[in-house]
Amino acid sequence: MKNCDRRRFLLAGAGLVGVASARGISPLRAAENETLTLYNGQHAETTAAIVEAFTRETGVRVAIRRGNSAQLANQILEEGDASPADVFYSEEIAPVLTLAARGLLSTANPDTLKQIPPQFAAKDGAWIGVSARCRVVAYNTDMIKLEALPSTVMDFAKPEWRDKVGFVPTSGEFQAQTLTIVKMKGRDAAVAWLKGLKDNGRIYNGNVAAVQGVQRGEVPVALVNNYYWFRVAEEIGDDKMKCQLYYIGHKDPGALLTLSPAGILKSSKRQDIAQRFLGFLVSAAGQQALVDAVAEYPVRPGVTSPYALKPIDELDPPDITPEDIGDADLARALRREAGLA
Amino acid sequence: MSLAVASSGRRRDAGPPLWLLLAAALPTLLIALPLAYVAARAWSAGLAVAVEEIFRARTAELLVNTVTLAVSVTVLSAVIGVATAWCVERSDLPGLRWWRVIAALPLAVPAFVASFAWASMGAAFQTMGGAILILALSHYPLVYLPVAAALRGMDPGFEDVSRSLGRGPWAAFFSATLPQAWPALGAGSLLVLTHMFAEFGALSLLRVQTFTTAIFDSYELEFDGATAALQSAVLLALALPAALGEMRLRRDMRFARSGKGGRRRAPPARLGRAKAPVLGAMAALAALSLGAPLAMLAYWLLVGRSIGHASHDLWPAVVGTLGLAVPGAIVVTALASPLAIAATRHRGMLSALAEKLPYVVHGLPGLVVALALVFFSIRFFPAAYQTAGLLFAAYAVLFLPLAQSALRASLELAPARLEEVARSLGRGPFGAFAAVTLPNVLPGVGGALALITLELARELTATLMLAPIGVSTLATEVWSQANDGRYAAAAPFAALLVAVSAIPVYVFTRRSLELNDLR
Repeated sequence: MKNCDRRRFLLAGAGLVGVASARGISPLRAAENETLTLYNGQHAETTAAIVEAFTRETGVRVAIRRGNSAQLANQILEEGDASPADVFYSEEIAPVLTLAARGLLSTANPDTLKQIPPQFAAKDGAWIGVSARCRVVAYNTDMIKLEALPSTVMDFAKPEWRDKVGFVPTSGEFQAQTLTIVKMKGRDAAVAWLKGLKDNGRIYNGNVAAVQGVQRGEVPVALVNNYYWFRVAEEIGDDKMKCQLYYIGHKDPGALLTLSPAGILKSSKRQDIAQRFLGFLVSAAGQQALVDAVAEYPVRPGVTSPYALKPIDELDPPDITPEDIGDADLARALRREAGLA
Repeated sequence: MSLAVASSGRRRDAGPPLWLLLAAALPTLLIALPLAYVAARAWSAGLAVAVEEIFRARTAELLVNTVTLAVSVTVLSAVIGVATAWCVERSDLPGLRWWRVIAALPLAVPAFVASFAWASMGAAFQTMGGAILILALSHYPLVYLPVAAALRGMDPGFEDVSRSLGRGPWAAFFSATLPQAWPALGAGSLLVLTHMFAEFGALSLLRVQTFTTAIFDSYELEFDGATAALQSAVLLALALPAALGEMRLRRDMRFARSGKGGRRRAPPARLGRAKAPVLGAMAALAALSLGAPLAMLAYWLLVGRSIGHASHDLWPAVVGTLGLAVPGAIVVTALASPLAIAATRHRGMLSALAEKLPYVVHGLPGLVVALALVFFSIRFFPAAYQTAGLLFAAYAVLFLPLAQSALRASLELAPARLEEVARSLGRGPFGAFAAVTLPNVLPGVGGALALITLELARELTATLMLAPIGVSTLATEVWSQANDGRYAAAAPFAALLVAVSAIPVYVFTRRSLELNDLR
């Protein structure tokens, strides 16, 4: 009986291995020429929507490696010239700016750059913005009134907000917000702000977790990006949302507009197809596929989102260029000074 | 006992044969890769940076957190594990056969799933205290299983003698029974401890910061890896004394056993009036460690609107998970075998060190191991890069100790003397091993395969970086959907991951307990 059991177990195991290798999990051959390799740090569903539209239009297949944007950038740095990646699409700006600073990215085609306003791409064309999003304050309507919220994000570091503010120090956008404060108010103000948040605030390790924390009443307020609210609302239903968004506006650092960018690896042997993909990302079809899948702002004029976004021309963000907020070393130094890293 | 030492001493002093040394060289080399990577990256930071980094207030803060968490979870897991093992193996608890399996099943629930369940129940769990409780609940089976196996195979003579000399049941347990279970308890506790050093997913949900979460943060913020490398070096320095301590414990305990011949089962202790409270405690343990995470999955399925969102990805993810985890487990177990054989059959610093090194590296986060393999593979074996083969190498670096522990337990039960008899009858060293030892250790091999399959099925970081492009697993899908806030869409993947994991847990439980079963 026992032997029989064992034999059956071994047979089942052998069967599984057989199925797996028949499905091609054994070492893959080098990708064929018409397959583009995309390292994707953007949310998987968003990218899948765009890639599907791209393949439908061009017939070019896209192989996607998913991961966290910063981890993928670190991986590309370790891979160097031998990187299998053709295009890197990042959720945040800092990883792409780092690759650009190290000279690892090719210049985007002028035709591609012409499709979008110049402030949404690198000055030297090393990367393009694919979508824009803004920093917001998420607040729990049962716990705090809209009128009680401050007119600047700087105030959340004050002692009266003790234990009332959630923030996500590891988020790329939080980092960008800190560097915006450096640019607008100076380094000391930024360090003081970070220290205040460290002492008074509640650290979350992800934006979804922070929005849910507000929704559940763990904390009345959290500093997040606009689209996370829509993700949570989509999951539990708009009518059940106790969490709402406050847009600070009036060029405050709390109203920062940031980009989710993409760039082509210089080491790619498929530059032509990669340029086509980059062009598609900002084409009318590509942008429509994107904004249908995620509550972010299109970078291409004339594309409309089905989500109830606050119109981009009412956001009134600070006048900050991506290059102003791309210094990862400075961001790290600030965080270390504030005891956050 | 002294006779046993004398006769076994002579045998063990003969160093390992050449074939074994060669076979052990491959896993040792793999283990050395992340060490070399961390050393090189830390070195490039320069001494001044290293000193500044190590003597920062932040490092002290992380050190306190890491040690507090790891030691507390280990102690709590040991207490729960030993108590559960005793109830299941040595008492007259009703429904023993069921409890034996139920007590091991929390192993099938990935820590990040359990943590997510608890974290969403309230802010109180998102603290150090909450993390200690939740992680102990999901890791105690790593202690329970080896200790239960040891209790089951144990000669009750020592305890009888102790009782006959006038000790009470508690005193006899602590002075006679528990010391015999030390090696099993030590090995299980060491696994929990190093697991805690490397834990990331659960802690980021529970908002506790340790060296490993700081290493992940460092990779978010900087792109040269110097800080992360230095933090990894500190983490290795923490794991080293733990591994050496366990080695010493094992060496001291090795011969402190009475002979294997003529064993009998100890009569079960009568729980008497304690029966109801013990039953209640076992039920509470199952409810907390199994019920809570499963209830959360059910809740999300009922409430979430993204239900069925990615259902067409379910089957590819199951195939991807099994296609990587099953062959991966075979590779890891094969690589662990020479290390386990060398350590149980031969003496010497070299084999002892080669056997312990994987335990030290086991404390490293998957991200560091994965990046080390990216670094070496792309430079020296570009053809292997992002193939299943390279991923299996990463799995080996991450999970060798689990296979080693399972194999060693069964190797120690297959007396080397039998092999010597086979050799005296004219078999070669390899033939004798294949004919005599191998059949005896097969159950242990089954246990090792099951445990590794379980761990590989939930591995995330190395799989994301190194798997053949386009391959998805249940763990990568859970991560991806949860990352998008689609918890109802993630729930079926998580539930399948638990279901798929329950099979190896069941096999592993049967294997490790049957190993010492007389029936």
